[in-house]
Amino acid sequence: MTDFLEIYGRQIAQAAGTHLYYVLLSVAIAFAVSLTLGILLSRAPRWANIILPLLSLFQTVPGIVFIGLLFLAIGIVPATIIIALAIYAIFPILKNTYVGIIEVDESYREAAKGCGMSALQALIRVELPLALPAIISGLRMSLVYTVSWAVLAAMIGLGGLGDLIFAGISSNNNALILAGALPAALMAILCSLGIDLLRGILIPRPLRRDVL
Amino acid sequence: MIRFEHVSKSYGGTLVLDDLSFEIAPGQLAVLIGPSGCGKTTTLKTINRLIETDKGDIYVDGRSIARLNKVELRCSIGYVIQQIGLFPHMTVEQNICVVPKLLKYSKERCQKITHEMLELVKMPYEEYAHKYPNQLSGGQQQRIGVLRALAASPPIVLMDEPFGALDPMTRLVLQEEVRRLQQKLNKTIVFVTHDMDEALTMADTVIFMEKGRIVQMASPDEMLRNPASDLICSFMGKRSLNNQHLPQTVADIMRDKVVTVTKDHGVRASVELMSRKNIDTLILTNADGSYAGVVSVDRIKRSGKGYKTVEPLMNRGYPFSYEDEDGQVAFDKLIDGGVNYVVVLRRDRTVAGIVTKTSMARSMAEAVWGNGE
Repeated sequence: MTDFLEIYGRQIAQAAGTHLYYVLLSVAIAFAVSLTLGILLSRAPRWANIILPLLSLFQTVPGIVFIGLLFLAIGIVPATIIIALAIYAIFPILKNTYVGIIEVDESYREAAKGCGMSALQALIRVELPLALPAIISGLRMSLVYTVSWAVLAAMIGLGGLGDLIFAGISSNNNALILAGALPAALMAILCSLGIDLLRGILIPRPLRRDVL
Repeated sequence: MIRFEHVSKSYGGTLVLDDLSFEIAPGQLAVLIGPSGCGKTTTLKTINRLIETDKGDIYVDGRSIARLNKVELRCSIGYVIQQIGLFPHMTVEQNICVVPKLLKYSKERCQKITHEMLELVKMPYEEYAHKYPNQLSGGQQQRIGVLRALAASPPIVLMDEPFGALDPMTRLVLQEEVRRLQQKLNKTIVFVTHDMDEALTMADTVIFMEKGRIVQMASPDEMLRNPASDLICSFMGKRSLNNQHLPQTVADIMRDKVVTVTKDHGVRASVELMSRKNIDTLILTNADGSYAGVVSVDRIKRSGKGYKTVEPLMNRGYPFSYEDEDGQVAFDKLIDGGVNYVVVLRRDRTVAGIVTKTSMARSMAEAVWGNGE
């Protein structure tokens, strides 16, 4: 065990670092994009009814296929994997943002308007805070999924924990597979806990209960 | 304070507000009431421009609201909605200070306002200011809803069925409280309800609407005394002082479900029918449906043997009156004649019903105490 860590320790740490970098950057991009898009779609539900089903259809395209295509188009640069991961991470956040806003009770909207809030003020002070539990649970979903999808980066030679897993598979080395898989699992759990922490800070008590 | 001049509004060809013109004086509590779809809520929402009118002008404080900035207008008009609509992610204090914050009042001023507001409804600041709406009872929530509307001291407050979701006891308490606050703070309040009791208790002026028009605009007393239409009467129901609604004709006091048979009905069948219906007298008609007479079960028992039909046993001289006669006629016959009931006929001599002591007592009771809904 000690030997193993001596040989692979540095490699594991480095791979985990790269992995986390891909995950956080792509989810951050996805979050910004899907929050904006979700808000826009909530202003035009008619468009949402076209765009959301299309995106969910796209979601069924296997990641490997999509990364392959992007690889052909862009090449072996980190941007390839980040774009691919970000695109897959968009849908859960986008959908939850949209649904979260749309499902804000009409009475709150009317109260906000009647109190004299502009559309933007109502969005920022009422609709988004009320949609926040849904948005954050979408973020959690994206984050956890992305941790596992990022394994695919190794397929096109871009490193990450996938390197160890694929190397372990091809050399029939179970220890090496675990050296990639366990940190990935741990990373997913930690991300999830991080989201819990975020939720505790951002969401006032009375809204915390009705979250998935 | 609030003046409507020829205001009209239609939705997809249906006129919901039909050339409305009226004025609400400052410091008044005006109640808009009427059947659903009469346009009362629409009228209310045009005042803070949640609904835009098609035609006509609305003036608040002498200024046409169409020319005012919507957001400024709404900040100067308090608004209370039926679903209460307190923001669940904000504390009581934050909810009360929504409008002051929009108006960019300082933090200290907002806090001072919260203190004053909670003071008004005797909810201690320390205990309630930092609670969330879901920690309050329905009545407390709507109190905060009212305070939110009052916080920036707007001269006008609009209330859209504010107590509709509350239980009757809480509703009474809040009616009282709003009335007290309105007088203390000298607000002009426009209040929508479909509950006539609420309207009559709270209003300085009741505005009764139907199909987008004002049917009557009057003080509660005046409306009770002289309701302008039958619909208003029926809305006021038991509360009406109008004589028209007291039982006047025989038809008002009769029972209209009676058992009649033709006079050639068999004796045995008649007795069976009476025992089945649990009555002791049958009303008999001629073949053409006109009234012939009555027969009692006693009479059949005493001398019914040997007869096939009830016709020979029939009492032709039983007291009757016509349904459009004064109720007192039937009353006199019933009391003076020492009979159990008086037969009521239509003018074509068909049977309309009977007046019994019970039916008379019941209709009198309804007139005095309401119909027990």
